[in-house]
Amino acid sequence: MSTPEGTSHYTCPYCRMESDGTANSCSSCGAPVDIRLKISHSGWAKQPPIKDMARIRFNRSSCQISGSFVPVAEMNLNGEDSVYFSHHVLLHADTQVRLEALKMGGGWNRILAGMPLIMMQAAGPGHIAFSADHPGETLAIPLRQNQAVDVVEHRFLLATSNVNYQWERSGVWFTTQDGDEQEWHYPIGQMMDRFTAHGAHGLLLLHGPGNTFLRDLDHGQSILVEPGGLIWKDPTVRMHLHFEYPRGQYWFSSARWQAKSMWLRLQGPGRVAIQSVFERPEMVGAVVNSSPATTHYW
Amino acid sequence: MDRIECQWCKAQNEQSRTSCNTCGAPLDQRNIVSDSGWTEAPRLRDMTEFRFSNSTCQVEGEIVPVAELALAHGDSVFFEHHVMLWKEPNVPMSALNTGGGMKRSLGGMPHVVSVAHGPGRIAFSRDATGELVVLPLHPGMELDVREHAFLVGSHSINYSFVRIKGLANVLHGGSGMYMDRFITHQQPGLVILHGYGNVFQKSLQPGEKILVEPGGFLYKDSEVTMNTVQQNIRTGLLRHNMYLAEMTGPGRVGIQSMYVHHGSE
Repeated sequence: MSTPEGTSHYTCPYCRMESDGTANSCSSCGAPVDIRLKISHSGWAKQPPIKDMARIRFNRSSCQISGSFVPVAEMNLNGEDSVYFSHHVLLHADTQVRLEALKMGGGWNRILAGMPLIMMQAAGPGHIAFSADHPGETLAIPLRQNQAVDVVEHRFLLATSNVNYQWERSGVWFTTQDGDEQEWHYPIGQMMDRFTAHGAHGLLLLHGPGNTFLRDLDHGQSILVEPGGLIWKDPTVRMHLHFEYPRGQYWFSSARWQAKSMWLRLQGPGRVAIQSVFERPEMVGAVVNSSPATTHYW
Repeated sequence: MDRIECQWCKAQNEQSRTSCNTCGAPLDQRNIVSDSGWTEAPRLRDMTEFRFSNSTCQVEGEIVPVAELALAHGDSVFFEHHVMLWKEPNVPMSALNTGGGMKRSLGGMPHVVSVAHGPGRIAFSRDATGELVVLPLHPGMELDVREHAFLVGSHSINYSFVRIKGLANVLHGGSGMYMDRFITHQQPGLVILHGYGNVFQKSLQPGEKILVEPGGFLYKDSEVTMNTVQQNIRTGLLRHNMYLAEMTGPGRVGIQSMYVHHGSE
């Protein structure tokens, strides 16, 4: 994970970890070293896909990424290392890899939130591989000791066992009225995962459908993103809803309420990552109540 | 004259070729192998062409590739009817009598397997992102393929199906109740599969074992035995049974990195 003191001179622009830069890819996140950083005019940096067969080092183990449509993360686990994962992402394993359930609390809340109920742990030595069920990119996020990231649910692939996993309410919701019934909507999910590295550096792997883009927000700087596009953010980034109502031919009818745009406002400081594939927002009626939100009428 | 051996199918090729004449694999690229020994299926270049019997196959596209066949007179191919993308109007069609109709229906396998006869052109593709896996079969080979994974097979191949042993697999495993079995006798043949996501292959030594998620299983040589292994997982009061396919060599095993459910087929 780290290089001997005095030899580091390459800082990966994607994961901000240091290495000697002599390899073709960053040993902490797998990002190619030999390509130019691509940043759009507005400041979004395209996260380059991890090259086929690139290796990521963590603790005494390594992870090799293979494939391009639905990449496979193949771990070569040392006997003292282990990772945990949601059981449905397991692809293959050596027979000597020890598989067991990870003890977790809050099962009822997890069921209600649609989060994976059962987490499994794989302990080395041996090879074990994982893949998601959607075309996209594997995102490797190395975490420094005590560093944390917030991840939208269903993006988690695996993490090293020294990465603590907590979930908390996303705090982003709104309600609409359908007849006598009140409907609750959670644009980024009811819960959000928080991963924190303890004791040492940790590694977190996510799966992002489509392409992934990163952006660093300055203190107080904000950006509006489609809620379904968010993948992860630094915990320092605050978020709340923002509704916009168009003007024009919609003003005279309830269609104006239907035509509203719903955004997630992300406010710095901190880093955010978005994906280019997201679910189409559902058409819902007038907002009755919501978590803290701003509104704009054009 | 020096020849080049294809690393994927082992066929001999003229030195001037850049792709294998038998399976289309690039000849100017080395096999890509992971640390644990899984070989990536060769990525077929757009418009790559290769031969089988007296016919040719051209592969088009990369995200959901199309296999376009130019069938010679006397050649024919069989396929599940819903994978046909287009055909010339004069290509005659017939149905293959697979037998076991009730079993196949119960197992979720196609009841009717169609046959297209040459001469003429016909093209095939499946329904999600993936790779074509071209598997030339030498005489006397047997290949087992997960259901709904084969795209097209050549006429010299005997097509049947085998039941996967183990009630647990039937009830819980992702690979279904039956597998397609392709057998060649005196003549070589060609099977083209569509693997979802990316496809990897590993050759197991005699007695060597590997655990595979049943949804990731794609194909195996019939010598490879497949057994269902149950993993009991407890979380507090909750208990969950997880099933993995234990593959035992010798022989090849192919896996796919994405699982697509075909319950509606």
